[in-house]
Amino acid sequence: MSGFVTGLANATVNASTVLILAGLGELISERSGVLNLGVEGMMLVGALSGFVVTSITGSPWLGLCIGILAGGAMALLHAFLCVSLNSDQAVSGIMLTLLGVGLTTYFGNPWTGDSVSGFSEVTLPIIGSFLVEIPIIGSALFNSTPTDYIALLLIPVVWLFLYKTNIGLEMISVGEDPETADTMGIDVFKMRYLAVIIGGLFAGAAGAHLSLAFNQIWSSGMTAGNGWIAVALVIFARWEPGRILVGAYLFGLLNAIQLYSQGLKFTLAPETALSGLLNPMIEFVMNPTIMSTYPYIVTLLVLVITVVRAENRQLAQPSALVQSYSREID
Amino acid sequence: MKLNVELTPRSNIPTWMAYGTPVFTILAALIVSGFALFSLGVNPLAAYNIMFVQTLTTSFGITNTLVKAVPLIFAGLAVYLPLKARLWNIGAEGQLIIGAIVGTAVGLSVSLPIYALLPLMFITGGIAGAMWIAVPAWLRARYGINEIITTLLFVFIAQSLLNYVVRGPLQAAESNFPQSASLPTAATLPSIPIIGFPSGVLLAIVLVAVTYAIINYTRLGYEITFMGANDNAAEHAGMSKLKIYLIALMAGGAMAGFAGISEISGVEGRLRASFDPGYGFTAVPIALLGRNGAFRVLLAALFFAVLFIGGSSIETSLGVPSAITNVMEALIILFLITAEFFKNYSVGLSLDQTPTPSAPGDPEGDV
Repeated sequence: MSGFVTGLANATVNASTVLILAGLGELISERSGVLNLGVEGMMLVGALSGFVVTSITGSPWLGLCIGILAGGAMALLHAFLCVSLNSDQAVSGIMLTLLGVGLTTYFGNPWTGDSVSGFSEVTLPIIGSFLVEIPIIGSALFNSTPTDYIALLLIPVVWLFLYKTNIGLEMISVGEDPETADTMGIDVFKMRYLAVIIGGLFAGAAGAHLSLAFNQIWSSGMTAGNGWIAVALVIFARWEPGRILVGAYLFGLLNAIQLYSQGLKFTLAPETALSGLLNPMIEFVMNPTIMSTYPYIVTLLVLVITVVRAENRQLAQPSALVQSYSREID
Repeated sequence: MKLNVELTPRSNIPTWMAYGTPVFTILAALIVSGFALFSLGVNPLAAYNIMFVQTLTTSFGITNTLVKAVPLIFAGLAVYLPLKARLWNIGAEGQLIIGAIVGTAVGLSVSLPIYALLPLMFITGGIAGAMWIAVPAWLRARYGINEIITTLLFVFIAQSLLNYVVRGPLQAAESNFPQSASLPTAATLPSIPIIGFPSGVLLAIVLVAVTYAIINYTRLGYEITFMGANDNAAEHAGMSKLKIYLIALMAGGAMAGFAGISEISGVEGRLRASFDPGYGFTAVPIALLGRNGAFRVLLAALFFAVLFIGGSSIETSLGVPSAITNVMEALIILFLITAEFFKNYSVGLSLDQTPTPSAPGDPEGDV
């Protein structure tokens, strides 16, 4: 049993890194008022370019950097369309995803199925050697790939950035009330560009983590919907960086149970009352395919419960999300 | 030295611009994707010849295009109709899948003559699509929760449900593949006699005409358009935002449901896990290209159908990954939204040495 739990913990932590990275990036972008539905596309571009660079140069660190930059470049396009041209954010985001899927499938074709020697798992230096001994979660947390550590480290960093630095606070104000922010002398356009690009860098990192640390292969569409889960995760976290960690572990755990539950059967003994009715229901809710919907259902429930309960209060959503901003021209 | 960019909203859009935008957009997308083709050592002109000329000049190509256009027209309307009320049904994909699942289940389990079974399948599929968007529609209409995100979340739930039913309740008994049993003949859309076109095309055209009539000639259509133009003014005029939003989104959901069941009943003949290559997402650029009228949605859907068919042609004949159609699709959206901007604003560029603060007391530009 402890082996099972340890395995589950390991799988949870592994599956959560990509969500933490992509989710934090999307959160920063949305806090400035720009929804980016192109996470999946930015991740794929980051994954492929990181993979290709690592294959050629043999350096996963260089691959990671290029993957991050590629994600940022995709985001720059989104920022240009949404911030400078006032385009519809949802449409531009869908475009970005289509573009990312199309480009990586088209140009990634020759590399499909190739593997790469990317990041290997390392025990955290100095303190790690004791901490890995912690039962169940020790090896999951303290014997991981560098990108796993970076992702965890970025949660407090993003929190500090958003709430304790001028740029972060200005970004938030731009997402809440761009008109007022503008009269206060904050450059709305610059802030939104910056936030969207940072979001893209994070998404690129998430993609490169997938192809260089998590899977160490390239296959088209390897992000497998994680970009969309990241969009859901930001809502689940109600736009707070700390809750991204909680959500990423929860969604990661659901993902891990999905993989592990395939060998398990939970059924009530036939003599138990209502077993004839309950067993098919248990089988349905424990079905791995059905379980893959849980992150979305949980997100919807969080959304509904928050607004219905707090009808008079604001949903924690940035007030100016999805609103383009242009200075009035008299 | 400073580059000044001056944007002035256009009061009226030049005619050449209004009509030239779709053409310009498509040309620009073709030119850019030409580079992608060229980079794989393919002559873009030869590829486009196969994609467009051959598709549109052979009866095989034309029939295939029409077949492909059916779900795209329905799905395009599914995004177009709510867009008239300025609502984004980004989740048409999900409603389409649910329409296909429910329609197939009805087709497989009910035995009725064809003239009763087909309408029943379409009606139940349409209702299923409408119900699939009901929660996002309600959340939008009642609580103002952004419909973009919620309709999208329902897409992923629908995709998983599809994967579940084709491996579970609807899987054909004798099959190891994730697919349902074949639909009986009574549940299959027949071809039109003599010309041999699939009858789904007629159905789609009828629905386009109905949508056109509703939007342009009915009170409901007027209210939807008014709500889309200015929701505050519409509410002051006594229209119910709740009602209009629910109707517009759920009618869109029903259209997407039709798209799903028409594809199963008219083309696939059975429900498969991978029956849908993303018609619901392609519907977004279709509705964008056609946002000025239901018949333009029809044209845009036909264009994307050509793109799909041509894309698979060059994959078989030239070995080009058919993902090039995804790239083209994305580029069309990209240039379209760029063109929208230039349609709405005239851009003036000027270089000046020093940023000149406007002198106080200067007369304000009263034009």
